[in-house]
Amino acid sequence: MRTANKTKRLMPRKLVVRTNPHSIAAEQYRTIRTNINFSIPDLTSKIILFTSASKEEGKSTTAANMAIVFAETGKRVLLIDADMRRPTLFRTFQLGNNTGLSNLLLGKGNLKHSVKASGIPNLDLLMSGQIPPNPAELLESDTLDELMEEMRGLYDYVLFDSPPILSVTDAKILANRCDGTVLVVNTGKSEKVSVEKARDSLATAKAFILGVVLNNYPLTSENYYYHNYNE
Amino acid sequence: MESTFNLNKFLKAMHKRKGLIIFVTLAFVVFAAVASYTIMNPVYKATTQILVNQNTVNSQDVNSLDINTNLQLIGTYNVIIKSPAILKNVIEELKLDETAQSLTERITVTNIESSQVVTVSVEDSSMEQAVLLANTIAKVFQEEIQQMMKVDNVSILATAEMTANPKPIRPDPIFNMAIGAVVGLVFGVGITLILDQLNTTVRSEEDIEEMAGLQVLGIVSPVDSNMKMEKPLNLSDRWEKDSYADSEQDKKINATKIGGSY
Repeated sequence: MRTANKTKRLMPRKLVVRTNPHSIAAEQYRTIRTNINFSIPDLTSKIILFTSASKEEGKSTTAANMAIVFAETGKRVLLIDADMRRPTLFRTFQLGNNTGLSNLLLGKGNLKHSVKASGIPNLDLLMSGQIPPNPAELLESDTLDELMEEMRGLYDYVLFDSPPILSVTDAKILANRCDGTVLVVNTGKSEKVSVEKARDSLATAKAFILGVVLNNYPLTSENYYYHNYNE
Repeated sequence: MESTFNLNKFLKAMHKRKGLIIFVTLAFVVFAAVASYTIMNPVYKATTQILVNQNTVNSQDVNSLDINTNLQLIGTYNVIIKSPAILKNVIEELKLDETAQSLTERITVTNIESSQVVTVSVEDSSMEQAVLLANTIAKVFQEEIQQMMKVDNVSILATAEMTANPKPIRPDPIFNMAIGAVVGLVFGVGITLILDQLNTTVRSEEDIEEMAGLQVLGIVSPVDSNMKMEKPLNLSDRWEKDSYADSEQDKKINATKIGGSY
């Protein structure tokens, strides 16, 4: 029991793809992976942004699990916590947050030394770094473009986890520069109006909206096709 | 915008809140039952039957003319029975603490299918009292009518009788519960419709598809928190922070597995 508890603490429940690779949710993430691959233009490397209309809709959880399922295909994946206001990635993977994106945007350190191993093959992490007073201005700098070019050379998939799009402008700036944007919607929580507003904001930012991930979607008998195939 | 009625959506919403609908319906049934058995006072009904017949001593043969006359009389009698003239005497005789007016309301006089039989029914919260009233009314009426109409053509056919276990005519618990069930069902469906209309959140893939320009990449279901941890797909699942070298090594070992797991 003790070891079980220890493992539980080391592997947060959020990463269901890792803790329960055969679960329905894990399979659903793989379905999303396939759909993203079909929706995105054929590029040598793909930079994808995960955002949502408001907070706590599951951006970080979705981004982390998606990063793992992308890594499962053997492609090199970088997951970046671009939420420099309320960073969570370091908690999800239980790592330090001393260096990260904010430091790189300020021109301190280099990408290769700033990324951290996640413990999962092919998956690297870039934390948000120290919380800056001006995240939006940092993201708007040319340094981000240079950084993205560098990432394209090193990784096949770069996933950005961003702040909510309706609260702050950060996500808009990122959405404009990423190859595609995934909008996370919390089923039964997100208001239709705010999802529409988020869509309009992304359109204003000239973002390429890949589609919507419906989070917390209750399983009913209608969703028979998601039933566990292994059992 | 979406004011059109969608039966499928409606049924889905009902299905989703069937618990609430059943609960509200049951609550109404239980309320009806409790009200019927405890709050509402039971009302009993006693009935006497009176035969109206022209009792002329001389003529033995009864012809249709006589019967017609009797039928017309009955109409008059119906009114007389409920009139204060009779009821005041009844009240006096039984020493009731009641007015003729209130007593009238509890009396029904019917005449069965153009027959010469008149039924007098009295409702009361006590069966005994109802029986007593019905019989007294019949008796007083029989006596009074002789003076009023100068005829003796009324006889009591059947007196009201006290049964051992009288059943109240009101409230009828089964009937009340049935009404409660119907009202509860309507109420439950109403609440569900209102809740459904008030809920402006995204709840289905269709909701997203209705918003132009957005497609659903996939859904993610909530994870059962009691779910057991599975055996990891590959060897590197030590969450101690592996060094680069370690993870590179694992990659080689599991090269065949990675990417082939789905």
